[in-house]
Amino acid sequence: MMDTRSLTLHGLAIKRHAAAAAVASLTGLSVEAVAAQLGAAVASGRAVEARGAFTLTPLARVALQAGYERHFGNLREDQAFQIAYHGFERINPELKQVITDWQTMNVHGQIRANDHSDQAYDDKIIDRLSAMHERAETVLAGLARGLPRLAIYGKKLEAALDKAESGDIEWVSDIHRDSYHTVWFELHEELLRIMGQERVE
Amino acid sequence: MVLLPIDTVQHAQPPASPIVEAVLALLHQKVRQNYAAHLAGGGAGFDDFVFGSPDCGISRADMEAVEATLLASGHRFDWSASISVQERPDAYKGGGDSTANVMFENADAVVGAADAEGRAQCGQGDNVVRYDANVVGTARYIRSNDRVLSYLTDGVPPGTIAIIDDSGGTLTAPIIDQFTGILCAGGTVRSHLGILSREFGIPCFMNAKLNGIKDGDKVEMEASAEARTTEDYQTGTERTGRVWRLEETA
Repeated sequence: MMDTRSLTLHGLAIKRHAAAAAVASLTGLSVEAVAAQLGAAVASGRAVEARGAFTLTPLARVALQAGYERHFGNLREDQAFQIAYHGFERINPELKQVITDWQTMNVHGQIRANDHSDQAYDDKIIDRLSAMHERAETVLAGLARGLPRLAIYGKKLEAALDKAESGDIEWVSDIHRDSYHTVWFELHEELLRIMGQERVE
Repeated sequence: MVLLPIDTVQHAQPPASPIVEAVLALLHQKVRQNYAAHLAGGGAGFDDFVFGSPDCGISRADMEAVEATLLASGHRFDWSASISVQERPDAYKGGGDSTANVMFENADAVVGAADAEGRAQCGQGDNVVRYDANVVGTARYIRSNDRVLSYLTDGVPPGTIAIIDDSGGTLTAPIIDQFTGILCAGGTVRSHLGILSREFGIPCFMNAKLNGIKDGDKVEMEASAEARTTEDYQTGTERTGRVWRLEETA
């Protein structure tokens, strides 16, 4: 179990630049607890606050990274968790392809930005996302069995998908909310940190 | 996994100073490895380990690696004598943003002499999506944390075409929406950064191969070039947008 301080800094590292509420929502900690930790981090030179959000300083990132094996060493050796992690990595390229196809359209042989005027096209992509999510559910469940806190990601992904399926398409990939892509990317970042891996692409 | 006794002391407060915490965290990591090797080699336990080798197997090279990690993270040390910063400007605060002086020199970059309009090609990259028009801006290498922090606080200078080498966008995430264009040395059009840039509608070349662009140069990105497709990657088809350095006419 990560202590509140480490988990707060870990959550901020995943969010990169975020307010206390967003870190709390990602980690499952209370907003008050996160705000207190972030305040202490700023006071001691571990985080800076800019434009209403926080970001870690280089030293805090180094210390956090170097401490991961202490927090996650057992998970790294847990075979069931490894299987779930590799399952995630197998689905990840597909997710990136689905999101890329969501953002772009082939117009007369040219890849242009999707202006979302063709609902049939959009529906087809959301169907692909739903099908992919169904397959991801086993993986998400496996991850949460290894580390219960990770269930938060599954819930957020499902919520984003539900909203996208009911026509609120911003929930597919919008950056300024917990869209499907935002949450998926954060989960990937979380897993890379847990497993001590580098992002390949 | 092998833990050190200190790792499980719940009431041990982290060091007050972030640099002490970072250095200790890196050293403990190394000591854990050495301790694990000691146990794997038939060593009896922690007492046996520390008393057998009082430095816990930490060498000068390990300490140099710690320093290198801190510098690579973007940290710069405080100095107590100004000779330090003169001798090692890269390692100390006030030594200048040396990372801005680097210039990508990719041998695979397509380069050419200036054309009639004063445009000299300095490379190419995979266009993440096609736009109607090219984009012109000022090239700025964004590789240091100091630069990101100053842009975060004071805003990114208008018209910045960011040159970066991290396709996950780790460093630049907080300021990416303020760029006019992005040239990323790594990744593909499906990378996270590619996805983000499309979401923001910012022209972006991934897998950019550049040569001869200095920080502050005026550059043009061929954002109107065809985007590279998934099939292109599968078949190894090159489909790139060009990058030009614009000669100053002033």
